[in-house]
Amino acid sequence: MQINENVIRSIIEEVILNLSKENAESGKCCTAEEINGLSLTPIGEAEVGKRKDEVVIGIAPAFGIHQTKTICKIPHADVLRELMAGIEEEGLKARVIRVLKTSDVSFMAHHAATLSGSGIGIGIQSKGTTVIHQKDLFPLSNVELFPQAPLIDLEIYRAIGRNAARYAKGESPNPVPTMNDQMARPKYQAIAALLHIKETEYVVQGAKSQNLNVEFK
Amino acid sequence: MKSKRFEVLSNKPVNKDGFVKEWPEVGLIAMNSPYDPKPSIKVVDGVVVELDGRARADFDMIDQFIADYAIDLKNAEKVMAMDSKKLAQMLVDINVPREDLVKLTTSMTPAKVVEVIGQMNVLEMMMALTKMRARKTPSNQCHVTNLRDNPVQIAADAAESSLRGFDEQETTVGIVRYAPFNALALLVGSQVGRPGILTQCAVEEATELVLGMRGLTAYAETVSVYGTEQVFVDGDDTPWSKAFLASAYASRGLKMRYTSGTGSEVLMGNAEKRSMLYLEARCIYITKGAGVQGLQNGSISCIGVPGAVPSGIRAVLGENVITSMLDLEVASGNDQTFSHSDMRRTARTLMQMIPGTDFIFSGYSATPNYDNMFAGSNFDAEDYDDYNILQRDLKVDGGLKPVREEEVVKIRNKAAKVIQGVFRALELTEITDEEVEAATYAHGSKDMPERNVVEDLKSAENMMKRGITGVDVVKAVKKAGYDDVADSLLGMMKLRVSGDHLHTSAIIDSNFHVISAVNDTNDYMGPGTGYQMSEERWNEVKSIPNALDASDFE
Amino acid sequence: MVDNAVLEKVIKEVMQSMQTSTGKTTQSKASCGSECSSDKMTRKDYPLSETRVNEIKTPTGKSLSDITIENIMSGNITAEDVKIAPETLEYQAQIAESVGRNAFAMNLRRAAELISVPDDRILEIYNALRPYRSTKAELLAIADELENKYGCKINSNHVREAADVYERRGRLKE
Repeated sequence: MQINENVIRSIIEEVILNLSKENAESGKCCTAEEINGLSLTPIGEAEVGKRKDEVVIGIAPAFGIHQTKTICKIPHADVLRELMAGIEEEGLKARVIRVLKTSDVSFMAHHAATLSGSGIGIGIQSKGTTVIHQKDLFPLSNVELFPQAPLIDLEIYRAIGRNAARYAKGESPNPVPTMNDQMARPKYQAIAALLHIKETEYVVQGAKSQNLNVEFK
Repeated sequence: MKSKRFEVLSNKPVNKDGFVKEWPEVGLIAMNSPYDPKPSIKVVDGVVVELDGRARADFDMIDQFIADYAIDLKNAEKVMAMDSKKLAQMLVDINVPREDLVKLTTSMTPAKVVEVIGQMNVLEMMMALTKMRARKTPSNQCHVTNLRDNPVQIAADAAESSLRGFDEQETTVGIVRYAPFNALALLVGSQVGRPGILTQCAVEEATELVLGMRGLTAYAETVSVYGTEQVFVDGDDTPWSKAFLASAYASRGLKMRYTSGTGSEVLMGNAEKRSMLYLEARCIYITKGAGVQGLQNGSISCIGVPGAVPSGIRAVLGENVITSMLDLEVASGNDQTFSHSDMRRTARTLMQMIPGTDFIFSGYSATPNYDNMFAGSNFDAEDYDDYNILQRDLKVDGGLKPVREEEVVKIRNKAAKVIQGVFRALELTEITDEEVEAATYAHGSKDMPERNVVEDLKSAENMMKRGITGVDVVKAVKKAGYDDVADSLLGMMKLRVSGDHLHTSAIIDSNFHVISAVNDTNDYMGPGTGYQMSEERWNEVKSIPNALDASDFE
Repeated sequence: MVDNAVLEKVIKEVMQSMQTSTGKTTQSKASCGSECSSDKMTRKDYPLSETRVNEIKTPTGKSLSDITIENIMSGNITAEDVKIAPETLEYQAQIAESVGRNAFAMNLRRAAELISVPDDRILEIYNALRPYRSTKAELLAIADELENKYGCKINSNHVREAADVYERRGRLKE
């Protein structure tokens, strides 16, 4: 195994993450306490990237501001950190943008993909629903879709980041195993509706997406 | 101190379900919202200039489409002037024939039809559904999917489902790129079970059309419509693009229906303060206006939303009734997990099972729910015996029949072998004898060996690039030596030429005779009329293998 | 890949579709022959696969009874032959009208027109009709193409109407 800067960084990040997990019992559904360890600073309009080695993560209008946890209360800071770490682990660069014009996860992901230099993007809603997309596909199609937010834990978010990066490199990775809990709907769907309504209140028709400077505290 | 009784109750499955209070301001209300528009219509020189309180200048896309295409203006002013309670009473009155009612119901506006339904309790709605559904003979549809998109298992499960009585079968994918394999396995497997089964593969609209054009599916259903303009656009379509799509399907000799359901608009965050049933009524009218023969509704994948609010399951039944009132085929939901409670999920299904609909389930899971890639159905393969006994207890035709283990094993084995031969003849990835054996006896994908997913996906992509069609599949089956199955597949291809199955509520029997709301119209007018189970069918329903015979004890 | 046989078939198809798009009304009456005279099809004629087994033709001129396993294996029948013809959809539309399903009949008539439009073009037009995909001029060009190239009168009006609605509702490509 070749040890490079990225690997070292991801190992350090993992250690730090594990420490914070121990503190907060996070990672499992609905047990984490709120951690506000995330600062997202807009740094101008998001443009089409030129770097072939980037994956763009499009976060939803309320993500990390008006809502700070997924439907099963995983802090957004941890979710974003894992997605980014997964991408960086593969030696690629993650660019995070805030999408304002839609809160639909497929459209967000497709939009992120069209802005991504590699053509691969990830869309994520505040409630945690995630899609990996490719710019040449139909918006409502996808490369990989993770519709059942309550089942996605931090390990899976990392794997999603990793796979997105591998698609960006032109590889054909094994898709992240699909999770399927048929009882998630009766338990969570109405709550998901509430969260999505609240997210959609922050949609700005026709607004341009913004590049974000991401800091974990 | 904590009450022990309350502790027991809190651990009951029903309390794992999520419930929310109504919030009418965002549309989180099942029906009868104070914000729903009042019914109205104004027609000047044959043009609708006002619809449900909105002037033509203010029409959104959906208003315009409904006003111009969905309402039969001949009786519009007459029916709009009639008392809604009186109309509701006519719907349950056995002396008013369906034919007379359809002339009135197809002339109502969406707000009017919702006001009529709002007068009825669930028993009355069930009466109305018995009378108003389009096809006299009720039927059923299943889902055939699995967690790994394993084509051998799909073929075997499809064959078993045909044997059990499903007239339509639907698959979908875990991984989108598997779609060609899933469609192929379902097409072949279902015909092994019985000739004349209609199959579909639910994927993104344009991809679904390609599969149909190629002859790998016989119909389409996942063509979604929505009740507010913003959500329709979020669904990446408009009534005009969807109407064009409907004609595209018919131009290739493919049956199709739309899909909609209460709760989708509120779940997608743009309900415009309207109740779920009112918005669903708009979807049903869009379907009518586009000239589509039928609709899958009954909340469908959003059932957790109406299921969580008061009177939600009543609204879900209401949407099925409205669909039949507009003279459309209804594939009436029951196709998604809805509750942790066996009592709740059974009660919810009886609403459609007892009256009978064109398809009682628009997806009974033919696999255990862990393999159901529509995120689980309300009933699954583990409920087969319960369902068969419900039919027997109530003498209700739910479309299924009891089967014997030997015949199921035999048909699964044959389907697995046929798909093995087809894959070989079409030079797709290999299906091993070990897989055939596993699929023969499998309950679900946990009993199947793993396949090389990356190789499968390459092969599936290649299959599309090579332009493999239904005709190639017929040849492949023939080459593999299964003449009977090749004949059945040929029968499916011929349907495309006559187009008889494009009509409302069409199903195909094993002799390729089309049964639809043209030649099997519902004529229910009270006891002793309408659909009656034949002696032969009743014998089938009551013959459960575990019923003891008095002679066994001699 | 394009050999003479394919080329020949394509030419035949184009000629066929040109015929169907120009003289559709007269043709459907003519091919209906003496037994239905001036009458339209009704529910009594349904299902056509049983009552009109010899009259139903594919767009390539084959009849239902030509579609056999033997002909498929020998290549006499190809995927191009297993398609519905405009006349057949017109008959089905008449049957639909005879049972009061006028909107459905209209859909079948739009469909009858689209038979001559190739699969790929159908998909492209569908995608162009999706929200924010096309400018008004692009939609109007499609409408003209449908009308002039394929003789699709109803569909062409449908696309023109969509262009107006999208403009009014701000759903055109910016």
